Amino acid sequence: MIERLRRFWPRILFFLAVIGPGIISANADNDAGGITTYSVVGAHFGTSMLWVLFLITFSLAVTQEMGVRIGIVTREGLAGIIRSRFGLPWTAFAMLLMLIANLGTITAEYAGVAASFGILGVSKYTSVIFCAVAVWFILYKGSFKTTQKIFLIFSVFYLVYIINGFAIGPDFGMALKDMVHPTLQFNTPYLLTLVALIGTTITPWGQFFIQSYVVDKGLEIKHYKVEKAEVYFGAFLTNVVSFFIIISTASTLYKAGIHIESASDAALALAPLVGGFAEFLFAFGLFVASMLGAFILPVATAYAICEAFGWEAGFDTNWNNGRFFYSIILLSIIVPAALVLLPGISLVKVMVLSQDVNGILLPFILIFVMKIVNTKEIMGEYVNKRLGNIIAWATIVGIIAATIVLVLSSFVRL
Amino acid sequence: MPYLSKLLGQPVLDSADVKIGRLQDIIVSSETSKYASVEFLLLKRGKERILIPYSYVENLSSKEVSLSAPYDKVQTVPLDTAIENYLSLGKDILDEQIVDVEGARVVRVNDLRLGIFNEQMSVLGIDVSVRGILRRIKLEWLLGGFFQPALIDWRHTQSVRGLLKLDTIAKNLDRLHPADLANVIEDLNVKAGSRLVVSLDAKSAAKVLEEVDPHLQKVLVKYLGPEKMAGILSQMSIDEVVDLFHSLSKQEAEQFFSQLKNSRLKTVRKFINYEDDTAGGLMTSDYVSVRPGWTVARAIEEVKKMSPSLRTVLYVYVVGEKDKFVGALSLRWLLISDPTEIVNNLIKYIPSTSILRPEQPVEEVMNVMTKYDLYTVAVLDSDRKMLGIVTIDDVMRHLVPKA
Repeated sequence: MIERLRRFWPRILFFLAVIGPGIISANADNDAGGITTYSVVGAHFGTSMLWVLFLITFSLAVTQEMGVRIGIVTREGLAGIIRSRFGLPWTAFAMLLMLIANLGTITAEYAGVAASFGILGVSKYTSVIFCAVAVWFILYKGSFKTTQKIFLIFSVFYLVYIINGFAIGPDFGMALKDMVHPTLQFNTPYLLTLVALIGTTITPWGQFFIQSYVVDKGLEIKHYKVEKAEVYFGAFLTNVVSFFIIISTASTLYKAGIHIESASDAALALAPLVGGFAEFLFAFGLFVASMLGAFILPVATAYAICEAFGWEAGFDTNWNNGRFFYSIILLSIIVPAALVLLPGISLVKVMVLSQDVNGILLPFILIFVMKIVNTKEIMGEYVNKRLGNIIAWATIVGIIAATIVLVLSSFVRL
Repeated sequence: MPYLSKLLGQPVLDSADVKIGRLQDIIVSSETSKYASVEFLLLKRGKERILIPYSYVENLSSKEVSLSAPYDKVQTVPLDTAIENYLSLGKDILDEQIVDVEGARVVRVNDLRLGIFNEQMSVLGIDVSVRGILRRIKLEWLLGGFFQPALIDWRHTQSVRGLLKLDTIAKNLDRLHPADLANVIEDLNVKAGSRLVVSLDAKSAAKVLEEVDPHLQKVLVKYLGPEKMAGILSQMSIDEVVDLFHSLSKQEAEQFFSQLKNSRLKTVRKFINYEDDTAGGLMTSDYVSVRPGWTVARAIEEVKKMSPSLRTVLYVYVVGEKDKFVGALSLRWLLISDPTEIVNNLIKYIPSTSILRPEQPVEEVMNVMTKYDLYTVAVLDSDRKMLGIVTIDDVMRHLVPKA
């Protein structure tokens, strides 16, 4: 049996290796912050925000495609290009933003770990510390790639939401109407959730991640068309999942008037499909999603920063040469884990607010991407087309506008 | 001893203290292994860019950049002068990756140190330290007197950008061991890395490519394409070529196949059927074979003749009619024997367990090598026909692929 498994295993891994960057990057977007934010969107505001999700599906597709294109043309990571193109001061600025956003997201992942174990009655001091240590040891001693793939396999969990969505028998007509019919509310909780919804779907780290993935894989111009299709499909797929999470919570929690205060509230959305098993299933899904992010993000952060500043990176470097690399990884494990361990902190709030941080910082990273992707010297004939520019700039302006209104609303109480 | 970061953007004054523009870039000579002398200043004057020969410059310091003549007396140079033999410090060097040849690594240039060398203003060193980073973002004061800048001597660096002649790059990198050069290439982006590869002669390029991590090797090979790879492929050892072709798709492999010479192509086709982790997959056909009837002197001649095309020679293999394996002789044994002696008479008894069959797994290969203290082992087919040899470094690389 074990022998057979051992022979079968490489084939699974090979299959996963063929799955492209588009789907992986999009899938990894549905992390702890993602699940929770989508749950909150549906539970607190019903299907009324679906139009935003509809619009940002295009934004996600377009921005990820730009990352792929830059990667294929330049064969270099985003951080490296920012450094060459904009010089050190701007690079330091971009890296600082990315670091803050990523630390926020990793904090959400550990909050996800704490929340999922909380459902099972395990104290966060045990679960978070254990998982943080495990992450470090697996990264340092084990195989990053294999681990990443294992958690990706588990993320099939999201399919549960799709099935669940049908099982509930929600009002699809209403949902579709809300999707194309924009409505706005001018109050802080609404705007906070709105920015979080954008920030968890399109992320600064996703922009860095997809580009380095393309570069590492050695994709070439001849792969571009297939890759583009894959990225679009990935964006569509991930937002279909998001759509179903939202309508799941909308037609259960929102209808019942339940506000999500803890993860077990969010788990109720799965009850129609699996009944009493819902809490356990949700805990499992949230844990897997959190751990995937908790593994990928520290490494992605460290690689990007090291690329920008020319420090040696990779787990095959020794402690002396790779001291910056290892320090950044340790920092981005310890600080987020410690934040989650602060007594009395609301885990759900941490998961949603961290996505706000991502959303607020995202436009700045996107502006760098836009500058690069429109520079002929770098991109040659592969500079942005008009439609891509319109969608991307609309996204950037839209998020900045939402952020400004959000800040104003918190002062003025509209 | 100014830093480039404190020079760029400064106003440039002529001898009458009239501001004629701002310093946009500094152009230096691109001769390698020397401190690069400053040749021109690139000025931004209104919307126009002008190039001024360094001979007009009176002062180039962080406090003042000034010329020794009034502007109307200065003979500027056409902008397109700055070609092949020059580097723009700001555009080609600052913030770019550069090879630290001495340290065999790739670094990002945070800042550049200029100074007088042999009475010429030159680039002396590259600042790769944290202090350099903070200086650029105007936060150097944070460090106080701690953390002195870490400078890399300019003479020991090699730029991979700008309009450099490829042979100058190769000359400078010649000092690096192929394995170190491979590490350097792994740290560069694919474009710069492949530029380095093609700057080398085919033989060195082959050695370096063999040392590069297999995944990146594949990426580089595909990036370079069949034509540029042709020369390099003909210099790579057979087992490496086979491994490479294993990792390519059938269609891609065919494109590269077509670049191989006939005899090599035949061997590769034969070898490609063996699994990676067997003696057949590890073996190479690069070995010296001699005939049983030859004299020792003739065998040594053969070693001399074959040597340039082989990586290592530790044993010569005695092969009879139809490539039938007869035995092996160590180089040492050959050297100390009487030159007129017939090779056949020198062969000792060889236990059949100390030779390999192509399908034997790598663990058994190791056992045989350890047991009989061999650095290379012959691989024979069922008719005792010699197929190739497995060398210890190929086994090592199979076991420790990341080193």
